[in-house]
Amino acid sequence: MPETAELKVREYDLFRGYYCGVCKAIGKNSSQLSRLTLNYDITFLALLLSSVAGERVRLERNNCFVHPLQKRNMVKQSECVSYAADMNVVLAYYNLKDNWKDEKDVKSLMFSSLLTKSFKKIHSRYKEKCDIISMKLEELSMLEKENCASMDKAAEPFAQLMEELMYYKPLCENNKSIERVLRSIGYFVGKWVYLIDAYDDIEKDIKAENYNPLLLQFEYGDEPVAEFKSRIVERLEFNLTYSLNEIGNAYKLIDNRNNEDIIENIIYLGMLRKTENILKGCTENGKKSI
Amino acid sequence: MAKNPYEVLGVRQGASIDEIKEAYRKLVKKYHPDQYKNNPLEDLAQEKLKEANEAYDYLTKNASSSSGFSGSKGGFSSGSTGSNYSGGFSGSYSGNNNAYSGSNSGGHSGNNSGGYSGNNSGSTTSGYTTQEGQQVRMHIQRGDLNGAEQLLNRFKMKNAEWYYLKGLIFMRRGWHDEAYTNLQNAVNMEPANYEYKQTLSQMNNSFRGFRNASYNRGYKQDPDWCSICGTLWCADSLCECFGGDLIGCC
Repeated sequence: MPETAELKVREYDLFRGYYCGVCKAIGKNSSQLSRLTLNYDITFLALLLSSVAGERVRLERNNCFVHPLQKRNMVKQSECVSYAADMNVVLAYYNLKDNWKDEKDVKSLMFSSLLTKSFKKIHSRYKEKCDIISMKLEELSMLEKENCASMDKAAEPFAQLMEELMYYKPLCENNKSIERVLRSIGYFVGKWVYLIDAYDDIEKDIKAENYNPLLLQFEYGDEPVAEFKSRIVERLEFNLTYSLNEIGNAYKLIDNRNNEDIIENIIYLGMLRKTENILKGCTENGKKSI
Repeated sequence: MAKNPYEVLGVRQGASIDEIKEAYRKLVKKYHPDQYKNNPLEDLAQEKLKEANEAYDYLTKNASSSSGFSGSKGGFSSGSTGSNYSGGFSGSYSGNNNAYSGSNSGGHSGNNSGGYSGNNSGSTTSGYTTQEGQQVRMHIQRGDLNGAEQLLNRFKMKNAEWYYLKGLIFMRRGWHDEAYTNLQNAVNMEPANYEYKQTLSQMNNSFRGFRNASYNRGYKQDPDWCSICGTLWCADSLCECFGGDLIGCC
């Protein structure tokens, strides 16, 4: 999420436009239901890819299914937005499957079976990518089962998953440099998301006796949660900020920096704000990361 | 491939020499080798810097002729092949030259794999590199991290160099937490080693650098009441020292 106070109105509109554009594209490409799972990470993906590709997008006022009373600006005619929407469905589908497998959550099963048709359609188009994503999720749950006690190691599969999403073929196919830069951005966005969620979930995971790499790496004992968190907060701040720094350094290397102000706002202001808020203990509801 | 030097520097055609210098200075700061040291994208940053140097050299050499860049590829590239980063830099920053070249020798030593340890030994107390260490470094330089790790596993003991090299490998992988821990170990075991200390402080600099970059873009810290009260209390005490009082009751 960008730091809106520092954005021009036009820039804010464009960011919202990407968000709504992805949402609309999910509805168009797949099903209306999958639109409920959209998050800001995917919006960032759409915005970044579309900007680097130099897409000429159009903002169009349109009806919105989720907010029926308001018309919203949304980005139209963007291949990247369409791609991001598809990836969002893939992630949502795997996520629900996981929930069913791990927690026997019936709602997830029902929801995922509703997504099956759209997923199959997307799967046939991006077979290789879907396979990599599902492999990374597999690795992630393996590490959880092994009680991996290293945040770097535990974050690896998710970081690589985001890296894979950033590999947008039309952009990367013939440009090794762009591919390396985009992959690096994806990797560290994934790492940042994983670590910040891990820190944010500490209380929840202690209560539910869930796996959390931070509890294991820093050997959570019988101490009060607040004490534990303040013991590790500096270490987390270092690692989260370091990831943001790598995102910024990678982004600087891109030649075609359309919408630079919005993207830099998200990296340097928005993601740092989120980092500080979570580290300060202001838990945010929902998982709309970036 | 010659790019339009005005585009590279991001200035308009016919920009003044001061504008060109200013734009160049910004680019050097942006792609400074210190920021990309031990980063897998290091070579791409070096390329950017090279482009900036070539563009700067071209434009300053042709400053007198108002014709500017007319797309004559031959003239452009041949005129600047010999130039390099430090050359271009010292041209515009005679004042800062010393401070800069200090960090440059570190940043560039990674380039020529042969000269790495040699470069280092001059400035450190115990900066020699063992034969095996040298090989590991060469693998890291080539980006062959698995190969480097395999060689590292063959070390007879885990000495300071082992931890240092392990740290470098982790850094390249983006595993910063492990990297930091290993570098810290290396420094603790061999506190006099300049290279180890330098790499560790580089990590701390990157961490701080991001924050500075954010502040420069208008990031404001949320008011934190603890620190505000603290500041007030300090100010009050300070006033009282000088006989005044900021907060009447205390």
